[in-house]
Amino acid sequence: MSADPNKLGIFVTSPQNMRHVVGVARAAVRAGKTMMVFFTYKSVHLTKSPQFIDLADMCDVENLAICADSYTCEGYDTAADIPKGLTATQMRTQSYHGAVLDECGQYLVL
Amino acid sequence: MSDEEKKMKILHVYRSEPTDDVKTLVGILSRDRDASEFKLYDGDPNYDVLVGMIFANDRTVSWW
Amino acid sequence: MESKKLFFLIQNRMYGDAVRSALGQAVENHYAYPVFLYEEYPPLSDYMKENMEWIVDMEGEVFTVAEKAPEGVEMTPLTLEELGEKMREADQIIPYGLPKQTNEPPPACSE
Repeated sequence: MSADPNKLGIFVTSPQNMRHVVGVARAAVRAGKTMMVFFTYKSVHLTKSPQFIDLADMCDVENLAICADSYTCEGYDTAADIPKGLTATQMRTQSYHGAVLDECGQYLVL
Repeated sequence: MSDEEKKMKILHVYRSEPTDDVKTLVGILSRDRDASEFKLYDGDPNYDVLVGMIFANDRTVSWW
Repeated sequence: MESKKLFFLIQNRMYGDAVRSALGQAVENHYAYPVFLYEEYPPLSDYMKENMEWIVDMEGEVFTVAEKAPEGVEMTPLTLEELGEKMREADQIIPYGLPKQTNEPPPACSE
């Protein structure tokens, strides 16, 4: 699959940038772009932010995921505590980041 | 220098004020390229402008 | 699928996840390059050493800009300027995780 020039990949590794994630996502939607968003490392704590639901509402199921291993490493329960706004299929591995890199013509780390 | 390199447009996004090391790397990455920057740490960022800049560039580097 | 050159830049002592993430992309057939930018790192675990060895085995490389690199694993030293030149060829540069900390970590989390 070649990268879609109108698709923005957002790779979130810091727990400090939720307002930027949501702000960029809203702007991307306004601009008629699609996006894929992947949360890993300490950023999985952002799934507990009320704004995470807003983000989930902007993304199709296949375009938003978090790293299940990071979620477990940070002390959360991947079976009993799937973040609000996500389904079990969105608890993924680092291979999802590979998909972001392959499918998105533009890419932003936050 | 190849024609392709001459044409590269690179955007540097700063999530916090860049350190001297980041400035050094940005200088090297921007050499002979069409470089621009966007400060996320400076007040209320205009995300519409940022998204427009991302899609107008070949590559974006978002520094810490 | 085109193999991309990916630089994972680490400047915080909490380096582990960036290395794991880089290995994940090596497995995805990309060229993965974790870069240790500073020298205040806790000792490397066997798990982390194995991850770095796998990255090298899969045509990646682990770089260190620090004068005093972590012991017990193969890393390629380079200067900040050399790193910049190498990254001109990058497909993506990924400044990973948190910024460098000002203060030394307390004993509770220093190892």
